Amino acid sequence: MRLTLERSALLKSLSHVHRVVERRNTIPILSNVLLRASNGRLELKGTDLEIEMVESIPAEVATPGATTVPAHLFYDIVRKLPDGAQISLDLGPDQAAMRLTAGRSRFQLQVLPQEDYPDLSAGDFPTRFMIGTLELKKLIDKTQFAISTEETRYYLNGIYLHAVDSTGPMLRAVATDGHRLAQSQLKLPEGAAGMPGVIVPRKTVGEILRLLDDASEEVEVELSNAKIRFRTGGVVLTSKLIDGTFPDYGRVIPTGNDKTLEIDRASFAAAVDRVSTISSERGRAVKLSLSDGKLVLTVTNPDSGTATEEVEADYSAEPMDIGFNSRYLLEIASQLSSGTALFRLADPGAPTLILDKGDEAALYVLMPMRV
Amino acid sequence: MVVRLLPEILQNQIAAGEVVERPASVVKELTENALDAGASTVEIVIGGAGLDLIRIADDGSGMTREDLALAVLRHATSKLPGNDLMDVRTLGFRGEALPSIGAVARLTLTSRHASEPHAWAITVEGGRVGEPRPAALTRGTRVEVRDLFYATPARLKFQKSARSEVAAIGEIVERLALARPDVRFTLQTGDKGERVFAGRTGDGAGAARLAEVLGANAGTDLLPVNAEKDGVRLEALIGRPQASSGTVRDQHLLVNGRAVKDRQLMGALRAAFGDTLARDRHPVGLLSLTLPPQELDVNVHPAKTEVRFRDPGLIRSLIVGGVRQALADAGVSAVSGSSAAVLDALRPHTGGSTGFSTATPVSFNSGFAEARQAAFEAFAPAARPAPAPVADDDDHPLGAARAQIHATYIIAETPDALVVVDQHAAHERIVYERLKRGLEARGIARQILLIPEVVHLKPSDAEALCARSAELESFGLVIEPFGPGAIVVRESPAMLGDTDLKQLVQDLADEVGDWDRTRGLEERLWAVASRMACHGSVRAGRKLKPEEMNALLREMETTPDASTCNHGRPTYVVLGKGEIEKLFGRR
Ligand SMILES: Nc1ncnc2c1ncn2[C@@H]1O[C@H](COP(=O)(O)OP(=O)(O)OP(=O)(O)O)[C@@H](O)[C@H]1O
Ligand SMILES: [Mg+2]
Repeated sequence: MRLTLERSALLKSLSHVHRVVERRNTIPILSNVLLRASNGRLELKGTDLEIEMVESIPAEVATPGATTVPAHLFYDIVRKLPDGAQISLDLGPDQAAMRLTAGRSRFQLQVLPQEDYPDLSAGDFPTRFMIGTLELKKLIDKTQFAISTEETRYYLNGIYLHAVDSTGPMLRAVATDGHRLAQSQLKLPEGAAGMPGVIVPRKTVGEILRLLDDASEEVEVELSNAKIRFRTGGVVLTSKLIDGTFPDYGRVIPTGNDKTLEIDRASFAAAVDRVSTISSERGRAVKLSLSDGKLVLTVTNPDSGTATEEVEADYSAEPMDIGFNSRYLLEIASQLSSGTALFRLADPGAPTLILDKGDEAALYVLMPMRV
Repeated sequence: MVVRLLPEILQNQIAAGEVVERPASVVKELTENALDAGASTVEIVIGGAGLDLIRIADDGSGMTREDLALAVLRHATSKLPGNDLMDVRTLGFRGEALPSIGAVARLTLTSRHASEPHAWAITVEGGRVGEPRPAALTRGTRVEVRDLFYATPARLKFQKSARSEVAAIGEIVERLALARPDVRFTLQTGDKGERVFAGRTGDGAGAARLAEVLGANAGTDLLPVNAEKDGVRLEALIGRPQASSGTVRDQHLLVNGRAVKDRQLMGALRAAFGDTLARDRHPVGLLSLTLPPQELDVNVHPAKTEVRFRDPGLIRSLIVGGVRQALADAGVSAVSGSSAAVLDALRPHTGGSTGFSTATPVSFNSGFAEARQAAFEAFAPAARPAPAPVADDDDHPLGAARAQIHATYIIAETPDALVVVDQHAAHERIVYERLKRGLEARGIARQILLIPEVVHLKPSDAEALCARSAELESFGLVIEPFGPGAIVVRESPAMLGDTDLKQLVQDLADEVGDWDRTRGLEERLWAVASRMACHGSVRAGRKLKPEEMNALLREMETTPDASTCNHGRPTYVVLGKGEIEKLFGRR
């Protein structure tokens, strides 16, 4: 294998690929990145056995070939080379080490045989559809924060992606940690009808989000029961799915909540942020006191003090006090994006529905606290 | 069989305790009678948690008309043939149970003896004994107790909740069932399904019964123990150390077929496991001792749950030796024997308060931060300038964190000592104290669950936990029964965040058996807090940043009783500079 390529292209693609490679591994080859040169391109591949990231970039290939080198080391070297450098990679005829040359810098990297490198991409992907990058980003952004981190309920450790028929066929994302739930949806892309409901793991979700930052306009999504694949630009991310059953979340979304509160989203978010300053400790409640035309937020922390803020609001049902975990409320407030936030409440012990007024695409369910 | 009045001297020898203190004790006495009568099937039916109805039918010998009339009299027994309390071969021997029950309830015995043309029945109501009358029953004896404690309203008032009573009855029946795998037991407790312990004989009978009682988790993979010494036989089935429990509830002890709860025996079993178990873990399993009746005094406790051995040393060595052998055969070895000199030098800081002033300011001065920085660079083995001097001892008695080892212990340095901190134990104490302060100040905030968590448990554990639901609620955990053997968690303490509720509930179930009646309510509450603290704490195995380690040390310095975790284990040990020097022969 012998090739020459431009540092900036290699760096950008390595920055994608090396991220999925774990720093500590009991299986040595999992610390490596796979390099495969042919037909004027260099393909790079990294994996942690759950996720696989493959990217292909142009290169001047003199001799085709393939090998694996330590991913983080390779990335660090390329990162430190001067901008604009031409890098040549050369796997000697004995295939014992890869020489990297750039200007006057010379490195020898130990290699491991490429035949041993695991392959995740095999298998059929019966479902295939295109989705706008911004739309996919929104779908994930709005739900990601509610993913559970508690590992025994592994089936909650991801976003549940599935097709539903609500206001027409929709692609819906749901995440919950058992305390709150976030749901976001968009029009079902062509080709996604009949897709299986799948749970995309948290780590994969994070990786996709990062990829989307410098993705092209559209992303191609391929799905099977066990794997999901995203393809954008020259990058292909393949990930295993969480093998589990997502709970019947529809049952926890309240439909009969009859008290509505409408409030300016920005003032609400800022007020929650301000009053929760006083609640250092995890699990502190913000009390929302609703009465005619206003909302009063209160946090009491016996160790540090109290905070109260009054916000003008559109509310005309009977007055009510309800407590929420301040962190949860903050996170939801920061997800809302329209001018007015809409709350649908029932009573201080029942799930509360929170929405952007005029945008039904995303909704949040939050369970109150008892204090 | 002949029922006789005991000689008076024997009557006095038998110190009558309170035989019938709760429905579960009635179930125990009546079931033991059935077993003494040679029954191979015992059917138990409970209504209204035992206060409305306890009915026990057996297929034992039955009683004649005269026996029936005598059986309900005080100190009338067919047992103790030699009038020798040192030679008890039956479960009953005092002739006290039936009259005691008859004195406080409506008791009807129906019994058919082979020599009688038909069955006879007799009724005792609040102590008034009726006449035997002909009745219909083909074989054995049926005892019916209705309206327990109706004759003693004060007692009735002090009965515990129905749920905990049903749980207690379940436990009693489990214990008796373990003693007699050859007998078929059925237990019906009203709304719940029937529990059936199938009668079995032959080799695996005891193991199969134990598995029925312990449930699927612990009941498999038990190690058999067989040992004998000077006429005492030990047969046991014990769980491996991994199957240990947080309590002694799943330790079942039989002495000559009698289910007992005996501290000495439990102690011997625990000792046999040595340090293969953490200090707060207990073995599970069944120990059965068979010895000549003369070697034993069973008349120690009114409920006959304790025994006294003539040669306790022999019993202990038999258990310790036998169980150790079985563990060794199974490849479980007792870990020990680290460098004794080092262990001796490391003196655990247990007990008492730390003597730290709780007013110690927790902020770092800049000099301290620098020292910390230097220390971590000093990890490189090459010679480097010595780390900057450690902060003043008065401010920070636990010193500056220098390293974390095994992702479990923090090594800190003070000017004159090295401190090793168990990060989990230490953090647990801190969280515990915080929880306690919070509770005292304002009660614990509860997060209502959007998706309630269903947890499956042993039926008796589920009942026992539900019986304590009010206490748990005051700690922020709201549970409800969810069919037999399951509970559902509806609200959880907000401060625990997104936590493993299944594990929490299982651990609480392990512990609930230990919150016995003699301990104060408050202590039980703190036991819950302690369990919750454990779950909310930094675990062993979690890597900590230098800042986190120092923060933990500073917080320890301001936390009362920070020198022990809430299980009483030390949270840190100190190795004085002098002691280190001694280790290296410099002194
Ligand atoms: N189910 C039964 N079948 C046959 N005989 C019974 C049964 N229950 C009781 N008896 C007879 O009634 C007698 C009295 O029973 P009771 O339980 O009062 O005393 P005990 O069993 O001898 O001693 P203890 O008070 O220690 O239990 C017994 O000795 C036994 O002869
Ligand atoms: Mg008896």
